Amino acid sequence: MSSETTTVKKQERIANNSPLKVKSLAFLSRYGMLLILIALVILMSILSPTFFTASNLLNIVKQMSVVGIVAIGVTLVIITTGIDLSSGSVIALVSVVVASLAQPGGMPLFVPIIVGLGLGLLTGVINGTIISKGKIAPFIVTLGMMTAARGAALLYSGGRPIGNLSEPFKFIGQGQIFGIPFPILLFAFVGVITYLLLNKTKFGKRVYAIGGNEQAAMIAGIHIDRVKICIYGYAGLLSALAGIILTSRIASGQPTAGNMYELDAIAAAVIGGTSLSGGIGTIGGTIIGALVIGVMNNGLDLLNVSSYWQQILKGAIITAAVYLDSRKHNRRS
Amino acid sequence: MQRQKNWFWLIGVLVVALVSAACGGQQAAQPTAASEQQGSNAAADGKLVIGVAHPDFDDKWLSYLQDGMEQYAATQKDVEVIYVDAMNDASKQLSQVENFVLQKVNAIVLIPVDTVSAPEMVEKAKAANIPIIVVNRQYDGVENATAYVGSESIKAGLMQMEEVSKMLNGKGNVALINGQMGQEAQIKRTEGNKQVIGQNPGIQIVLEGTGEWDRAKGMTLMENWLQSGQKIDAVVSNNDEMAIGAIMALEAVGKLEQTIVAGIDATPDALEYVKSGKLQVTVFQNARGQGESGLATAIKAARGETVEKFTWVPYELVTKDNVDEYIQKWQ
Amino acid sequence: MSSEFILEMEQITKEFPGVKALDQVQLKVRKGTVHALMGENGAGKSTLMKILIGMYSPDRGRILFDGEELKLGGVKDALDKGISMIHQELSPIPNMTVAENIFLGREPSFRLTGWVKARELTDQTRRLFERLEIEIDPHARMSELSIANTQMVEIAKAISYNAKLIVMDEPTSAITEKEVFHLFRIIRSLKQEGVSIIYITHKMDELAEITDELTVLRDGKYIGTRPSLNTTREQLIEMMVGREVQQIFRKPPAQIGETIMSVRQLARRGKYEQVSFELKKGEILGVAGLMGSGRTEVLEGIFGVNPPDTGEIFIHGQKALIRSPRDAIAHRIGLLTEDRKQTGLFLPLSVEDNMTILNIDQYAKGVFLDEKKMEQACRQQNEQLAIKTPGLKQIIKYLSGGNQQKVLIARWLLHDPEILLLDEPTRGIDVGAKAEIYQLIFELAKKGKAIVLVSSELPEILGLSDRIMVMHEGRKMGELSREEATQEKIMQLATGGLTTSA
Repeated sequence: MSSETTTVKKQERIANNSPLKVKSLAFLSRYGMLLILIALVILMSILSPTFFTASNLLNIVKQMSVVGIVAIGVTLVIITTGIDLSSGSVIALVSVVVASLAQPGGMPLFVPIIVGLGLGLLTGVINGTIISKGKIAPFIVTLGMMTAARGAALLYSGGRPIGNLSEPFKFIGQGQIFGIPFPILLFAFVGVITYLLLNKTKFGKRVYAIGGNEQAAMIAGIHIDRVKICIYGYAGLLSALAGIILTSRIASGQPTAGNMYELDAIAAAVIGGTSLSGGIGTIGGTIIGALVIGVMNNGLDLLNVSSYWQQILKGAIITAAVYLDSRKHNRRS
Repeated sequence: MQRQKNWFWLIGVLVVALVSAACGGQQAAQPTAASEQQGSNAAADGKLVIGVAHPDFDDKWLSYLQDGMEQYAATQKDVEVIYVDAMNDASKQLSQVENFVLQKVNAIVLIPVDTVSAPEMVEKAKAANIPIIVVNRQYDGVENATAYVGSESIKAGLMQMEEVSKMLNGKGNVALINGQMGQEAQIKRTEGNKQVIGQNPGIQIVLEGTGEWDRAKGMTLMENWLQSGQKIDAVVSNNDEMAIGAIMALEAVGKLEQTIVAGIDATPDALEYVKSGKLQVTVFQNARGQGESGLATAIKAARGETVEKFTWVPYELVTKDNVDEYIQKWQ
Repeated sequence: MSSEFILEMEQITKEFPGVKALDQVQLKVRKGTVHALMGENGAGKSTLMKILIGMYSPDRGRILFDGEELKLGGVKDALDKGISMIHQELSPIPNMTVAENIFLGREPSFRLTGWVKARELTDQTRRLFERLEIEIDPHARMSELSIANTQMVEIAKAISYNAKLIVMDEPTSAITEKEVFHLFRIIRSLKQEGVSIIYITHKMDELAEITDELTVLRDGKYIGTRPSLNTTREQLIEMMVGREVQQIFRKPPAQIGETIMSVRQLARRGKYEQVSFELKKGEILGVAGLMGSGRTEVLEGIFGVNPPDTGEIFIHGQKALIRSPRDAIAHRIGLLTEDRKQTGLFLPLSVEDNMTILNIDQYAKGVFLDEKKMEQACRQQNEQLAIKTPGLKQIIKYLSGGNQQKVLIARWLLHDPEILLLDEPTRGIDVGAKAEIYQLIFELAKKGKAIVLVSSELPEILGLSDRIMVMHEGRKMGELSREEATQEKIMQLATGGLTTSA
């Protein structure tokens, strides 16, 4: 009997012991990238006297809003162990279509915006439907959409940029409210809305559940197909919003726009702690991830670091982030 | 279950339709595409037959090159020109060149899809004793072909930078915006820029980065540079799109007036910016000239005349003074 | 250097996050003997064996193999040194032939080109089978073999490495008596050749028959080593369980009500056929059977995970059409799946999220969720089921198996099901928690839930069930009442012996 009691005690000790370790781990995984971001900001501030100024900080956030908005949508997709490679091409498709509708003296401002968002939503819903109903890997489906949407953008525009946009339309990407660039406000709005969606609604809980364990989610009666279609649709919608902002910012609809943005967006999500193995990821993390990329880009430009080195450094940071991520999760087994 | 399957097929068909519409749609719209069969009995009626292997009918700039050929062909008697579209697929282009060889055309004009697969096509033609003229895309070993007609990328960089240094009166800070690093056009254009800068001790490169040929990325780069507080007198960009991005960034902080911006390509958008005085310089690569000269060389070679190994079609500088002329060209 | 032991594992410790899987465990196997490794599920047997064959490396401890210190870089290392293992979960490559599977990765081949010598491959396999008196065509595809034959191929494969030590993990769990007899003959002849065997089993009768010594583990600890012959069943159970079996569980008198669910002629091609049974309010129906007997598949069929091809399910006398788990949930059925981690838990999510996900609709307040209500519901479950967790926001992955299982039960309880399908509810759970889960199951039955319990542990089935249904190769072999059921009767039915009239 005595050996029994020691066993029980041991069990208890183990049970009480782990949370401590878990807490510090959770702290690191939650705030690790924030600490890295802060460290980067401090480093850049020391290296470049003009880095830590209000105008430059706003500049960084403004520049990252396009990729950041895409990354927020992609975060949801990655949480469900999916991937969306079509974002960049959807940006291009939306860009040329919206630009052609936002000509001066043409339709009222809301028409191109609604059409653009609708188009993005449609591409996403197509992605989600094929992935969930056809049981085809997201990588393949969105790769197909990436090619098709880019082709459609080139076809629609005849391969040429579409310029001459109306003044009100230009406000979306170039305007300011109380000195804050409008894209930043949109970025913040999307961030808050998606945060609420993901954390305070049953939809959000289902997203995490599907990512955490799709089999278990199915057995818990979750309508997996429906949730997935919604997620890819939302990601498409956000790509479209990003496309509208980008188009307005460069005052031109470009069939080549958004090239490789999907990879920057995925990188932002992953740097922000979203796990490619699913079930883990936060909007705050992704925004931090986007800012890390933004600070790197901006700081390295300010310091006039050669383009080759910029690529190497960016690559190293992304890999390091994923490495930390995998270290975190490998402890499970 | 059944319903699910139907769904799946419906969407499958939709996507296939979408993809095929997106990627292959325009082919039928091109009148020249149909002429492929006509040359099957080449030279039977004593006409000279020239085969043109075109990489992409959808490419705007190349379409002007084709215009140049068509216009030149119209002035020639007893010459028939066959155009085929490789749709940017190198293996497709190879089989098209092989077809030309089988048809025994009198000469081939090759605008390579890429520079890796071109040497093999040149070999095929040479083995059959058919003259082959490579146009527009240069590569190492191009001298194996009968002749090469094109423009030298480095010249565009030289011409652009010479004009900028004139505007700067040989003194000032220059920021260079590169295209996608490692591409031939980026390397040569930048090399041209730097040669000129090397000869002008008063001019320094203070900043250099890449905008990957993209307007948005050029704009972002310029915004960051502007934050650095570095004094910039001129922005020299590898292409017009990035130059326009830089212009927009400069405009937003009210610094465009003090800054010279230069691009390359003379795209329609860029010409508008030249006309409004925002873009000071761009460089026009003479598409029609290359087409004309390429076809002329091919006809000469087909007739057995000797041809120049290299024909350089000069670039043309576009500034506010002559911009209208180029705006006309694109219309 | 020679020693009387072929294998000496000492002070082996292995820790996973939150769980000490092994705590200073020892295992000493004499040369040319069969050594049984005993312990309940989750006692640490597999972890210890995985360390032995190089799949895990121990945190601490020392392994001597044939007198020399053993340091393994991986499974291949172990095979090279002469240690092979027959895994309980078979992992053949279905589209390759028997011969190819056996010599996978070491096919006889031409030295220069690396081409496989097909004839020699077949011949070697044939010779091996002759030696072992196995009658299987070397050219047959693995996918065509029965489970028993697949098991025999695995055994032949392990022997073909000419290993000095072979680990057999429940080799008889899926084969018939005739093949068991055959296997024992093979084991005896191996012994004579000086090969040592570590034999993992749950079947106590096998101990005296085939093994020489036995070592018992419990909760990751070494309990003791005894000669097999002199150890009685009771002693052994006490070593394994730590207290007397009867004390752990005995179903209190049941109040069984009216029939809630009746299943008629349920069949799914290749999985199970003609399965019929009734389930009453407050009743626990045990389902016994060997691995691959179709128990899990029947539960999955009822729950709509993989709906049956034919057959009907009536709930409260009404025909229920269940084509998906959603339908089953709507009929107030709950399923606790066999593999917690694969199909139950959302490992990266919190205790609260894991508990409330099924029932999330009930907590919606407009667009958002009523977090207070969720927390309250979870807190209540935590208290009722005595779930040990630092908090509701704790990530469930860090909880012990028993507490994870309780959270999963709580998930279903929040939905208040009438029918609960429990598939191996105590697998991989330590003894203390097991008792708690048994208690919980009793209470649920007492409250009038109808429960179907699938378990591989016969004492569990015997102790918990009011009625026991036994399956064999996809068929229902019979039903035993609580009074008439014994281990022997169940085993007889489960191995395809006499059927009873149900």
